[in-house]
Amino acid sequence: MKSKISVVLIGILLVLAVAGCAKKEAPAPAAPSMKVGMVTDAGTIDDKSFNQGTWEGVLRAGTEFKLDTKYLKPSGTTEADYLKEIGNLYDAGYKFIVTPGFKFETTIFQAQTKYADAKFVLIDGSPHAGDWKNVVGPNTVSIFFAEHESGFVAGVAAALQMKTGSFGFIGGMEIPPVQKFNWGFQRGVDYANKNLGTKITIKAENVIYQGSFDNVAAGQQIAASMYDKGVTVIFAAAGGVGVGAINEAKARATAGKTAWIVGVDVDQYADGIYTGDKSVILTSAMKRIDVAAFDMIKAELDKTFPGGKTLTFDAKNNGVGIPAKNPNLAPEVQAKVEEIFKLMQNGTITVPADQGTFIK
Amino acid sequence: MSRFKNLFTALAAVVLGLLAGAVFMALSGSNPLAGFYYLFRGGLMNMERIGNTLASATTLVFTGLAVAFSFKTGLFNIGASGQMLMGGLTATAIGLSVQMPRMILLPLIVLAAAAAGALWAAIPGFLKAKFNVHEVVATIMMNWIAYWTVYYTIPAYFKGTFLETESRRIPALASFRVEWLTNIFRGSYINMGVFLALTAVIVIAIILEKTTLGFELKAVGFNRYAAEYAGIHVPKNIVLSMSISGILAGLAGATYYLGYAVNMQIGVVPSAGIDGIAVALLGANSPWGVLASSLFFGILHSGKGFMNAMTKVPPEIGDTIIAIIIYFAATGVLFTRLWERITRKWNKEA
Repeated sequence: MKSKISVVLIGILLVLAVAGCAKKEAPAPAAPSMKVGMVTDAGTIDDKSFNQGTWEGVLRAGTEFKLDTKYLKPSGTTEADYLKEIGNLYDAGYKFIVTPGFKFETTIFQAQTKYADAKFVLIDGSPHAGDWKNVVGPNTVSIFFAEHESGFVAGVAAALQMKTGSFGFIGGMEIPPVQKFNWGFQRGVDYANKNLGTKITIKAENVIYQGSFDNVAAGQQIAASMYDKGVTVIFAAAGGVGVGAINEAKARATAGKTAWIVGVDVDQYADGIYTGDKSVILTSAMKRIDVAAFDMIKAELDKTFPGGKTLTFDAKNNGVGIPAKNPNLAPEVQAKVEEIFKLMQNGTITVPADQGTFIK
Repeated sequence: MSRFKNLFTALAAVVLGLLAGAVFMALSGSNPLAGFYYLFRGGLMNMERIGNTLASATTLVFTGLAVAFSFKTGLFNIGASGQMLMGGLTATAIGLSVQMPRMILLPLIVLAAAAAGALWAAIPGFLKAKFNVHEVVATIMMNWIAYWTVYYTIPAYFKGTFLETESRRIPALASFRVEWLTNIFRGSYINMGVFLALTAVIVIAIILEKTTLGFELKAVGFNRYAAEYAGIHVPKNIVLSMSISGILAGLAGATYYLGYAVNMQIGVVPSAGIDGIAVALLGANSPWGVLASSLFFGILHSGKGFMNAMTKVPPEIGDTIIAIIIYFAATGVLFTRLWERITRKWNKEA
């Protein structure tokens, strides 16, 4: 009896197999003018950071200009895995490829010569062979951000909102983009103290680089000790470490204490929500990754793709700044910050990228 | 007869796996036929992609053999990942710090990585033989010890100039990639590891089928107490089996980190160690079966991206489909039962 069942089962399998074969392949949709692909870095497409920001820019360009868009997720984070996905996009006709993050530097170095007729946009990095001698191919654009300007605006906004008190900074690794965020933030606070009548202090002991971008527990610990020492606002430019800091702030805010975080890279307001629509995110020092991705796609369509160039997105081209809406900032603070941002755009205020006399 | 049984089991498992994958593709709104077409095309459509498939398969051959070999002795080495990490760490350490002619350096790296893997597996083997600590628990623990060892060692001694989470780039001198092979396969990641893997398949087949050692190991696997009664030193064989298993996983590490990859990253447990279990199951724990199933998995791994690029299947669903195929492919035991029933009936009627 049981063997009959198995025979029937096999029969069903065969029928299914044949039925599957009988189906015709759907005709391919009419080819759009350009196919834009993206390869994600480690992490998911909804990482609320580089992957998501880049993809949102690509998607926006896709809807606006009716382009075919696609992202691929590498199975690992080795150069071979990244290159493989670039090859997959290329072979599938996606010849405009956007990659987010410095981890793609050596990958794009190889891809730009291997796929000479494809265009590459490398966000927050510059191609090199592993020796940090940058070679931006004629078909590649390398994009950097003025993190110090972003940090500056966020620093001014936070200082204006709080008026007095002590601020802190938690960084991931001690690398140039993170350092620039830090120095810019301190400059912003300093500017507000000198010109806008605020009294904010930043102590050297409250400026800490944790050393990684993924140690959530350590981020929470550092944030807790800073808040215990009387810090009211922490600027966390630290990826996953920052997530730990946000968690600590949420716990404290829920308990009715004052604990703010200044977010980084993207508008992190939603990440800091602890009850209803209340968030611990005062504002965010943003890099408009989506704008960068969108602009490059637009440039390619306009036949003005700046191949071979290294671009910096800063205040002047709206490449950095704080979000347009900051529910935790008073309207007059928002207005004042916008005023200052305009001064940065027309060059009245310049923010140096170096350390100057600031901490770490 | 058993050979036919294994083949039937494996093929039926693969077909069921593909069918299950097809159902998922259909559910995600894509034509399964087109999906599979691009999946296999992605793995095989030109020399570069064939090279990449072989490169992916290389690692799986080693980890698959490692798991299969321990299975033969009745042991479940779930720690291939950790042994692979230690083999890779040793290989990376030597590759980054020793300067000598390639002809001597590469064999040295291979031997050292094998030794590291062997040591990492011998510890759980010893604990099992001496104190009857279950090897599944011990090897999983060893995986995490390896993970954290790499996590601290690479940034402390071998970190790159800029990145803390990766080692320096492996110099060409110590790389398993060779120009002529890369050229034949048009810039693929295929490397010397592929020959090493083939050699390993042959050596393991010989050990298992033609030597007293293999006979003893299998005897322990079939029935530990009977083997002991027959005068076989069981504890020795357990440690030995785990060590050989560890050697294979250690080699996986050397060829992966110095051949497929260009440096070693921290914070990653290589998935090949776990995939090795599925490879071994699908390959019915036979060396040649492992070779065949590694190639199949290699195609899946390197074709997946192209399938995603050509169809509307999103990458996350792509991963799920591959996982489903692997999952069903590893359920061969169901088909073994089925086969036994069919043959029993056959024999009754005949």
